Amino acid sequence: MTFLTKKHLSRRAVLRGAGATIALPLLDAMLPSATALANTAAKPTTRYSFVHLPHGAIMGKFTPKTVGRDFELSPILKPFEPYKSYMTVVSNLDHKMATSQSPEEAAGDHDRTASVFLSGAHIKRTIGQDIHAGITIDQLLAQNIGQDNPLPSLEMCIEDVGALGVCGAGYSCAYANTISWSSPTSPLPMERNPQVIFERLFGAGGTPAERAERRQVQASILDSVVAEVSSLGRGLGANDKSRLDDYLSDVREIERRIALAQERAGAASGERPEVAELPFEEHAELMFDLQVLAFKTDITRISTLMLSRDLSGAVYPASGVPDGYHAISHHQENATRMERYAKLNTYHMSVVAQLVGKLASTPDGDGTLLDHMLMLYGSPMANSNAHDHYPLPVVVFGRADGRYAGGKHLMAAERTPMANLFMTIASREKIELKTFGDSTGLLEI
Amino acid sequence: MARLAGLKRIPLALAIAAGFTALAAHADAPKSAAQGFLQDTCFKCHSEGSESAISVFSGFYLDRLDVDHIAANPEQWEKVVRKLRTGMMPPSSEPRPDPVARDQFVTYLETELDRLAARQPNPGRPALHRLNRAEYQNAIRDLLALDIDAKELLPGDDASAGFDNVAGSLGVSPVFIERYANAAARIARLAVGDVAMTAEQKTHYVPNFLMQSGHIEGLPYGTRGGLKVEHFFPLDAEYLIDINLMSAVNGIHIGNTVPNEQLELSMDGKRLALFDISKASPAPPAGEEKDAAEDAADNAGAPKKPEPKSAAAAETETPQNPQNPQDQEKAGEKWEVRVPVTAGPHVLMAAFIKKNHAPIEDVVEQPSNTLLDPLFNGTPEVTMIAHVGSIVVDGPYEATGPGDTPSRERIFRCHPEAASEQAACAREIVSTLAHRAYRQPPTTEHLSVLMDFYQQGYERGGFEKGVEVALQRILSSPQFVFRFERDPDRGSPDKPYRLTDTELASRLAFFLWSSIPDDELLDLASRERLSKPAILEQQVRRMLADPKSEALTKNFAGQWLYLRNLDIKGASTYEFPDFDDNLRNGFRHETELLFDNVVRNDRSVLELLTADYTFVDERLAKHYGMPGIYGSQFRKVPVTDPRRQGLLGQGSILLVTSQPNRTSPVTRGVWVLENILGAHVPAPPPVNIPPLEEAAGKVDLSTLSVRQLMEAHRGKPFCEGCHKIMDPVGLAMENYDVIGRWRELDHGAKIDAKGHLVDGTEIDGPVELRAALLKYKEQIVRNMTEKLMVYATGRGMEYYDQPVIRSIVRNAAESDYRFSTIVMGVVTSAPFRMRASESLAEGTVTSADARWLGDRR
Repeated sequence: MTFLTKKHLSRRAVLRGAGATIALPLLDAMLPSATALANTAAKPTTRYSFVHLPHGAIMGKFTPKTVGRDFELSPILKPFEPYKSYMTVVSNLDHKMATSQSPEEAAGDHDRTASVFLSGAHIKRTIGQDIHAGITIDQLLAQNIGQDNPLPSLEMCIEDVGALGVCGAGYSCAYANTISWSSPTSPLPMERNPQVIFERLFGAGGTPAERAERRQVQASILDSVVAEVSSLGRGLGANDKSRLDDYLSDVREIERRIALAQERAGAASGERPEVAELPFEEHAELMFDLQVLAFKTDITRISTLMLSRDLSGAVYPASGVPDGYHAISHHQENATRMERYAKLNTYHMSVVAQLVGKLASTPDGDGTLLDHMLMLYGSPMANSNAHDHYPLPVVVFGRADGRYAGGKHLMAAERTPMANLFMTIASREKIELKTFGDSTGLLEI
Repeated sequence: MARLAGLKRIPLALAIAAGFTALAAHADAPKSAAQGFLQDTCFKCHSEGSESAISVFSGFYLDRLDVDHIAANPEQWEKVVRKLRTGMMPPSSEPRPDPVARDQFVTYLETELDRLAARQPNPGRPALHRLNRAEYQNAIRDLLALDIDAKELLPGDDASAGFDNVAGSLGVSPVFIERYANAAARIARLAVGDVAMTAEQKTHYVPNFLMQSGHIEGLPYGTRGGLKVEHFFPLDAEYLIDINLMSAVNGIHIGNTVPNEQLELSMDGKRLALFDISKASPAPPAGEEKDAAEDAADNAGAPKKPEPKSAAAAETETPQNPQNPQDQEKAGEKWEVRVPVTAGPHVLMAAFIKKNHAPIEDVVEQPSNTLLDPLFNGTPEVTMIAHVGSIVVDGPYEATGPGDTPSRERIFRCHPEAASEQAACAREIVSTLAHRAYRQPPTTEHLSVLMDFYQQGYERGGFEKGVEVALQRILSSPQFVFRFERDPDRGSPDKPYRLTDTELASRLAFFLWSSIPDDELLDLASRERLSKPAILEQQVRRMLADPKSEALTKNFAGQWLYLRNLDIKGASTYEFPDFDDNLRNGFRHETELLFDNVVRNDRSVLELLTADYTFVDERLAKHYGMPGIYGSQFRKVPVTDPRRQGLLGQGSILLVTSQPNRTSPVTRGVWVLENILGAHVPAPPPVNIPPLEEAAGKVDLSTLSVRQLMEAHRGKPFCEGCHKIMDPVGLAMENYDVIGRWRELDHGAKIDAKGHLVDGTEIDGPVELRAALLKYKEQIVRNMTEKLMVYATGRGMEYYDQPVIRSIVRNAAESDYRFSTIVMGVVTSAPFRMRASESLAEGTVTSADARWLGDRR
């Protein structure tokens, strides 16, 4: 892991050792030393995490052969063995909206599916500013249960999205760059830099002492601004006074948030990550740790993570597969290539399993984070060789305060919209909806 | 209706109006001439009994109003004036009124409305104004000599009435407060140079469609492509500077197969490193690489050896197959140096040494947009060459001190030698900063609050930390963030009052500079001399001549003419492969330079439409088919082709009024009518209107010209009423395609640019359109003046502002509408110099609204 503290090692030294991975004790040092906030049965704080990969899987080796409670893990899902009792494999889900709806849309599977993934919405084909998709499930949750947290939601990615402005087939890159939309016209940027995420979670400043000091100065300035405002009303009309009142209440709200952040992040020790370009595994692990930290400190309850992006040519040396991700996903139904792709799928699942493992081993209230959350892993593609969007590889983990049993393989009815899963998640969070995306009903999960 | 007494009530003192009534007095009908004109010309549609779709839709019933007593409905009559003055009414389908009678009627209305305004002046009352992003950024520049990117620090602003400095829409929210508070902390730290600051990364991106096959203005000659940025280095320290190359969506560096590419990184014109970036080139022997590195270090004069790392060193074990880029590994090379840099702004440049003519020698001719399809990368006969993607600056590391930055020079007006002098010096620094930031001296009480924060900082980290914390407090103050204008302690609640000189200084500075006043303005204001007419005029001329008045071009013209929309407007890549960011930037630059020329050389504002000159570089000249212009710098050139004279022939305007894949005559028509002529085009009716393509039904779209598409759409009579106003204007511009090139054909059909405007004028093509528009010279100037008034006062213009606007235009006519006369007209006008009391401002609007609503019901 190349998360360095400059006391230990200068960047110069890292550059000299370029290529070599320098492992340092990492986020353990960053984890809060104090106990996490009490998560009691009376006041459950359910968290939601959504993890995305773009290129589907060899479904024959992904879908377990047996259904129900005593299902047999498939080869690709083997890395999840330790967490089987927390996992529900949901088969036969369909993202019809990711398939082309008209001849012009035909070539655009890779350019639109990321935005269909969590929305189930039709994506408007455009390269102009009139982009239109649908609100995604993470943002629906954030708008309903995330508003009391310092950060309503956290959006992360691994691969650089700063590629070209127009993606392909007449679609704006906005669609391929995110899996999170706060409204049909508002894509949320996915943040790649762990440093920026850290600052978003815990504030600016390299060390806890610095951050605490800055928050303190900030708090005392806002306090003094509140006093100042009362002296500024002279000579203002009623309208302007009411604008000033709004301003004042907003200042107070920020004071409250800073106090909250002080309380929640104050315990997070360690230093802000100082990052260079990280190898995939290390970057992913750092993102996992930040996510765990954000959940544990209750700074946010909702996160999304794009582990890769459509058309990615990334090579994962640790997987033992020499091919680029997108290239091998077009396995041409060739047995050798399919074997290689299944191997890469299994490797990816082993990476995702690390996140599940971290969640399962992080104490939270009367159990672990995994007891109090739902994590969804999936891809909006099935057989990526054919750009199919059915049947999708989808697994959910966690009990979400008893709302999900786990430990089963659910074979949904053929061509069940994936949006039915989102409807189910919303309904169990007591969010009333008529439909979500192209949903047709609920799942018996 | 009892209108009979009307005639007698018209004051005889009004020469023109009197003439008009006298003329009518000969008529037999017992009514005023004005009433007669209305009845003959307007009532057919605009009266209670009319079945006209327009009347029903707009609810504009003129028979309910009393034209002989315009004081009862001034807002409605201003609308009538606008419709008639801009030739929008009566429509071409109706008989033309006698021009003399029409002119007399409008003049009568205007004279009456102006008289009414003179009797009951209402200068309006802008709401409490918050600094918008542009103003905040400029204020920080002028206060602290620090360039920041406000887009990164602050949330976006909403616009209304066409501008984002309209006070009423500049709201606040918790997010806004949070961002402003964080910005204050960050700016204070950067400006003072907090040596304890931690390293951070800042990425300067090259726009995605900036083509890099040629020389880019500002970069060294002999290079191609690349990026030039000014970066602020906050401390004397070491910094890592990385260059990233542009990659395709699949992560492959574009152009990685072209041999012998070299990339130079320089700072302030001195080379920091020369990188060999070719993957395909043979790996240099180890010794050679070392030489290159040492050479680079010598050139940089840097004590530390930079560490360029050749691509060869990063060669992976993965099998490479250049014919199939997707099988290549995402290139993991890094072109990076770590160098000591002195604090302050420095210019970083990354550009390729021009060595390759590979694309030019290709069998297949390249489109200008060389990144059109990154999958071309590696296609035989098509060469893609490397493009710089971004420059990343990471630091500071191992800081040695705050250094000498322009910001520190501006802040630290004194340097205490002994501890005993510190408090006094801090007080001087803090009170000076607060005075400039708040545009007026801080009160004694407030200064003592600021000094408490100095003390708080002092206790944490000494004198400089104290100044930093006090500065953070100043920037967090509502007195910085809001522009307060206060009612006088004593004054009649129904009378408008003059702004103080201090408030006037702020209005001037935010109008002409989008920033805070400078010391000269503050000084004149504090001595109450600024409002003296001669001094005011002299100051306005000084401000217009100052480079800071470029804010007028960026913020006023940028929004008035929609130039800001260029950033988000694209042309379909596949249909317009020659469209790229260079062209987009060129379009913007051309129009900005034209506007700037009018401002700086005090030209007639009509020159915006008629200029027989323009500003182009080689790329733009080629695009317009102007021969003999070489090089990447913009220059003034004569324009002899009348089709390219003025705004209507400029790519900027033509692109922002198009769809990505086709022109939009409706958008172009509306743009011309609303932004040039100042006519109000009715909004589309609240019914679901399908886009052109759908309305055309099942016809093969590829065979239809845009005109044919539109004719299919306006087949419905209900649509035709408005479309016949907008469409002929836009259709006259159909010879310009989406990216402003001249064309004769559209989808195989010969362009038909003929039509008749709503005032009945027959036109064919853009040159005749311009001539037809210029018949409305006064209206064109009136419109620009109105927009300038919105921008200057930060509020939308109401009916009661129209008399003021008319008078500014009348006065400017004598100087052939020179820009400065219009600006002087604005800054000496009541809406700019005065403020209505709240009861007056509210009363006027509410009662008018109430009357209007009553009429509609």
